Order: sequence, then structure tokens, then C-alpha cells
Amino acid sequence: MSEILAIQGLRKSFGGIVVADDVTLSIGSREILGLIGPNGAGKTSLFNLISGVVLPDAGTIYLQGAPIDGLPLYRRARAGIARTWQNVRLFETMTVMENLLVAPREYGGESVLRILFGGAAVRREQEALRERGSAILSRMGLAATADTLVTDLPFGQQKLIGLARALMNDGPCLLLDEPMAGVEGGVYETIKAIVREEAASGRAVCVIEHNISFIKDLCTRAAFMANGRIMQTGTVVELLSSELFIELYFGT
Amino acid sequence: MIDFTMVAQIFWTGTATSSYYVLFTIAFALVLKVVGLWNFAQAGFMGIAFYAMFFAFNVLHIPVWAGLAFGFAFTIFFTGLVEVLCLRTLRKRRSSSLTFFIFTLILSEFIAYLLMLFFGTEPVTLFPSILSPVRIVADIAVSDWDLVALSSTGALSLALWVFLRFHREGQFLTAVADNGPLAELYGISAKRAYLVAMTIASVFVCAGMYLFGTRAGVIPTTPLELMLFAVIATLLGGIGRIFSAALAAIVIGLVQSFSILVIASAWQNLVLYGFLFFTILVFPRGFRLPGLRRVRGADLAPKPTAESA
Amino acid sequence: MQYVYSLLVLIGIYVTLSASFNLIIGNGGLISIAHPIFFALGAYTAALLGIHFNVPVLVSIVAGMLVALGSSFALSLPSLRISGDYLLIISIGFQLGFLQVIKNIDFTGGAGGLGNIPSVLSGETRDIVFASGSLLMALGVVLLIRWIVRSPYGRAITAMRDDELAFVTLGRNAMKIKLVIFALGSGFAGLAGGVYAYYFLYLSPDQFEILQSATILTMVVVGGMGSTLGPVVGGVLLLALPQAITFLQLPPNVMGPLQGVIYTLLVLIFLFVRPQGLISAARRQT
Repeated sequence: MSEILAIQGLRKSFGGIVVADDVTLSIGSREILGLIGPNGAGKTSLFNLISGVVLPDAGTIYLQGAPIDGLPLYRRARAGIARTWQNVRLFETMTVMENLLVAPREYGGESVLRILFGGAAVRREQEALRERGSAILSRMGLAATADTLVTDLPFGQQKLIGLARALMNDGPCLLLDEPMAGVEGGVYETIKAIVREEAASGRAVCVIEHNISFIKDLCTRAAFMANGRIMQTGTVVELLSSELFIELYFGT
Repeated sequence: MIDFTMVAQIFWTGTATSSYYVLFTIAFALVLKVVGLWNFAQAGFMGIAFYAMFFAFNVLHIPVWAGLAFGFAFTIFFTGLVEVLCLRTLRKRRSSSLTFFIFTLILSEFIAYLLMLFFGTEPVTLFPSILSPVRIVADIAVSDWDLVALSSTGALSLALWVFLRFHREGQFLTAVADNGPLAELYGISAKRAYLVAMTIASVFVCAGMYLFGTRAGVIPTTPLELMLFAVIATLLGGIGRIFSAALAAIVIGLVQSFSILVIASAWQNLVLYGFLFFTILVFPRGFRLPGLRRVRGADLAPKPTAESA
Repeated sequence: MQYVYSLLVLIGIYVTLSASFNLIIGNGGLISIAHPIFFALGAYTAALLGIHFNVPVLVSIVAGMLVALGSSFALSLPSLRISGDYLLIISIGFQLGFLQVIKNIDFTGGAGGLGNIPSVLSGETRDIVFASGSLLMALGVVLLIRWIVRSPYGRAITAMRDDELAFVTLGRNAMKIKLVIFALGSGFAGLAGGVYAYYFLYLSPDQFEILQSATILTMVVVGGMGSTLGPVVGGVLLLALPQAITFLQLPPNVMGPLQGVIYTLLVLIFLFVRPQGLISAARRQT
């Protein structure tokens, strides 16, 4: 199992609030790391630091051995960091397929010159993307929604599309921010299955979740965060039964 | 080669003439802070203030105090109308910043064109003469206008500061400026705060136009240029900081006055644009145009920008 | 008859201007009021090349376009690096500052204007060539923009408008897209400027001042922001308007402001009554 994502000594504060306090963590391939902790612990902020939304005050982030903390946001995705958002953030005036089509790591359609003069190559690329997108949608049982406006879908399906969009990145690292929030039943099972598959294919997955049964079911390891610090890491069982966790999570 | 008296004179006159810039800047910065709106319609309000007073003095021939009162009333009324009829509607619709921008700017241009139709494009001043009695104090020419300008600007600014700091209504303005939805939870009406802010701004605008109009000629497009000054000073002073914007206005005004020594008057305005570029380049923090930011009530969580989250 | 030809030339020019402005503001969501300045840059560049360096017409018009395109980076690069909204402020400054420069240096004719632009062709041939050239230019620009907007590139632009942060997190370079859109739009404005210079043979700073932006903005807003046909309809309609007013036989110093009042009033009315314009965009606009 090789190390995919390594974070060392990450620090970040906004004004007086410390959101990341000397965070050191690593995630290997095929791992599903559960990031748990109370609200305001800095979990989403950590994702923001890794994906590049926010630049750290200190510390380094390595992706497959190469430092990425100096890279601007868009380059981190191209390096292979894909993430989902707590509030999904789909492109609301577009259809499902269109949302997926703008999501791959490299996108030929980003260059005007290529669009004007690339002709056949661009068409081929778009076809290939469409196929990839359809394949992902099929895995989720959502192939039929390809041409639906995302806002016409129920919330659970929108979350799946958010996940699908991240999967288009096809990179080594997948960060999921509360994928289970607000979903249940069939969608829940689908997401679980997909996350398992993605990890099995070699990716490093990190999941922020409050849903303890999801953590128990799926995660190989867990890290407990509070006040911007990683308080404890270990297997899920170890963590969930530790006194520190119970105290900090539920309050005394 | 440059003698001290000349420098002192430029300093004095420069400070005095930056008085109206200070007033326009405070108005602009106040609305930006409380309402969260880049109020490009201010140019329109400035035009209305000036020509209302012009009308009062030159057509109705009423005394100064009455004309001023007329000007204030007219401007306040018009500003209130815009806030209640137009801005509230746009806010209710959760219009984008683009829409607010188009509306405020086009409103100013509409007013400018309307004023052109009614008053023509010849430069006019509020009174037939812009000369005011001058006395020499320590080798420096000090005119009555200078004194009126400095004292009224100082008084108004101080009054605003006291109001914002110590008076309940003023404190409400600050509360709404900091966190609208939170203030609402405490029973502070954002709508009212907006109206109050806009009203205060129109007072400053009217006062500023009175000062400007008793010193220089105005044409319907003059306010648009004057407003640019206020925008730059607001940027320089820091968004949300009214009085440092006012200070910035004085600084820019002085720099403009002193630049006469080194550059031809035709290029004076370029000093302003130089400041603009300087401000943009030196201020790395982004800022957002308004629109969805100040939407009330059942509101989506604000989308994190690249810096927050 | 001459009158009809110059109207056709103007239609071509204004449709180009509003279509290109629509690309920037309607599709790209970039707020700028400096569009008339790129129009002016193209016009002055083309004119000056012809007057002082005897550069052939077509070359100088293309040069005008390239100068406008290139100078757009002077606005977009510093401001977009910070935030899209800074572009507006810089464009205001650029708009006013550039005109100051033109008014004050002799090379560009100063406030009095630039005449002596070498005339190409003469008589009715001239009118026909220019009219068809201008209309072809408009057609070409509209079609090109349409192609871009409907391509995968256009899809990227839409996603960027919908949620820029999510868009960039996917790996897209939003900054580059904005820079390119702004450059293209400004370039097209410069192209229109060159045509304007060589047909009307006289340029003066007040043809390009800040109130011009109201005209172009009106065409875009009334026509329909973000749609392909919108700016075309807006351009044609709003050029026809002054022609309608001419019949009122009003003195020129009333005509100008009256036209301005009508344009701006139209924008205000549409903003409140029909924000999507006459021809609504194919997609919902955010």
C-alpha cells in the first residue's frame, strides 16, 4: 500500500481562529480514512487546505511524493485531488451530463483556439468523456438522468451526481465532504458501494462524516479532529471507544 | 526654488477643496458599508442635489438657507424613492451584482441626460459669482469659502462619527453593516438601516454639491467624474472604513493640488487614475460587488470565497 | 440613399459592438464599462496607421483589432488576479483616463478630433463595399461567438458562471477563460472601430465617452443578455430609434440628450419589467 496523500505540520488561522493546528496525516492507496469530529473542528477547512481553496500558513502537502501546497487551486485537481462539497455545488443551469463533461482533469474545451481549430480531435475527446460519464452514471443507476437539469433531481440524486463529478477526475485522491448528509436508503447504499469500489481500485479516500455507522461500515482508519488538531488516529473501533473521543464529541 | 509660502498656500487651498471630496467619499463609503452597495447612482443623486439648489437659487430666487433646505429635502426624497421602489425590489428578487451595477450606473446616466435636457450643457455655478471674501493670514490667502467648507465638512463628519458611535440608530447601522441577518435576529430592521444610511448619504452629497457648486462650474456629467474620486478614496481607505476613506480623500485631493507644480493641468486627472491603479495593485484582497451578499431572511449559506470557508 | 448605406454600416458596427459586449458581460459575467474604449482604440489605431504610415486599410483595421485585443490585458490581468469585481473599477478608470490622454495629445488630434483619415474608394462603390463589409463583419462576429458559446468552451463558461469555486476545484483555469473572453470581446470592438474610422473619416473623443457605454449596454440589456440574437435585435432596434426621433425635427442639442434619456429609460424599464430582455437566453441566467 503506497502513500498517496501526506500532510505535514499544516497550520492555518483566520484572524484569531486556528482552523488547522499542526496537522499531520497520511492516507495510502486503497485506504478509506474517516475524518470525524464535532462541528467547527476544522474538517472542511482541512479539505479546503488540501484541495487548494485556502493556502496554509505553514506546513506541506504531498501527493504521491510531490509537494502540491504551492500549486494554485486548479492545478491541484489536475494533479489528482478530487473533492465533493458539503452543499453539493452542482452547476445549476446545466444538465447532469454537462456537469460531468466539465469535470475531467484535462479539458480540451478550455482553449478557444483548440475549439476553433481542433475540430475532430475535440469531438473525439468529448465523445470519450461522454462515455466515461455514462459509465459512472450507470454504476449509480442514474444513466437515465443524463439529460435532466440537475435542479430537477431529488436531493439524494444530486449528491450522487456531485460524487460522479468528482469521479470524473479519475485521480489518486478522493476527498468526500459529508457524502451521506441528508441521504438514506438506496442512495446511501449506492454511495457506500461506489466509495468501496473507488478505494479498491487504488485510490486514497478521505471521508468527513457524522454518520457513525457509515464510518464503522466503510472506513479502514479514522482520525478524530477537534479545534483544528488531530487528536487521535487509529482504527475505527479504537477511536470510537476511546474516552477522549466520547468526551470531546458528546461533551461531558 | 519653491518657496514655503506657495507650498503652504497650496496645502491650505488643497485641503479646503478636498472638503467636498471628503463629503462625497463619506456618502459613498457609508452606503457601501451599511447597504453593501457600490452606489453608482450617487452620481445621479449629486446631479439632482446640485440642480435642485441651482433651480432654487436662480429660478425661485429664495435665500440661501431655504435653497439649501430645498436641496436637502429634494435629494433625500429622491434617494428614498430609489431605495424603496427600486433597490428593495432588486433585493427581493435576489438580483445579481451585475443587475445592481447596471441599475445604479444607468440611473446616474439617465439623470445626467435628463438634466442635460432641462439645464443644457453649459457649465453653471450655484451663484453668479464664485468669488468670496479673502483675508490674508500669515501670508496665506484664506477665503470665506475655505472656512465654510472646512467647518461644515468637519462638523458633518464629526456628527456622523458621534451618531454611529453613540446613538442607537447609528449603532444599528454598524450592526447591520457587520452582520445583517444577525442584526435582524436581534430585532434591528435592516430595511430601516438602509434607508437611514441612504438618507445620511444624501445629506452629505447635497452639502458636497453645495460646496463644489459655489466654487466651480458644473455640467450634468460632472458628478460622474466626482464620484470616481469617491470610489478611489473608498478603495484606498479600505472598504467598510468610512473615516479612513475620508482621510484618503484628503490625501488624494492634496496630491492632486500639489501635482500642479509638476504636471500640466490638462493631465491633472491622470493623477487620479494613477491612484486608482496603485490602489488596485497594492490591495491584494479581493472585494465583492453586492447583490446576493446582503439578501435577508431565509438565505442560503454564503458560498465560501477563496479566502474564507 | 447615402443615408441608408451609412445606417447599414452603423448597424453592422453596433451589432458587432453589442454582440462582443454581450460575450463579455452576458456570457462571461465580467462587469466592465470600458467597451467603448476598445472601440476607440481600434478606431484610432487604424486611423493613425493610415494617416501617418500609409498602411493599407484592411491591414490597419486588423491592426486596430489586435491593439484592442492586446490592450485588454492591461485591464484584465491586474484586476482579475484579485477579483472579477475589480475589473469594473479599473474599467471605469481606464475609460476616463484613456479619453483624457486622447484629448490632450496632438498626435491623436486632441479634443478637436482626428480628420484626414485616408479615404478608400469613392462614390456609391464605397458605400456598397463598406455597408456589406460592415454587415458581413457583424454576421461573422455573431456566428463566431455563437459557435464558441455552443461549444465545450461555452459549457465551461456556463459552469464558471454557475459556481466558479466548484468549477476551479475541478481543475479548470477560470482566470484564463475570463482573460480570453475579455480579450476576444475587446478585439471585436476594436475591429468595429477600424471600420467606423475608415467609413466616417472623422474621430473625436466625445464619440467614445462614458455615455456611449449606456448605448451599448442598452442594446445588450434590452436585446437580451446572454442570448445570441439578443444583441442583434438590440443593436438594430436601438439604431432605428434615433432615426425615428429625427422625424421630430428637434434641435441637435436636444436630440442627443433625448436619445440618451430614451436609451437609459429603456434599460431601467427592462431591468424591472423584463430583465431577460427581448430575446431571452437559452439557459437560465444566474
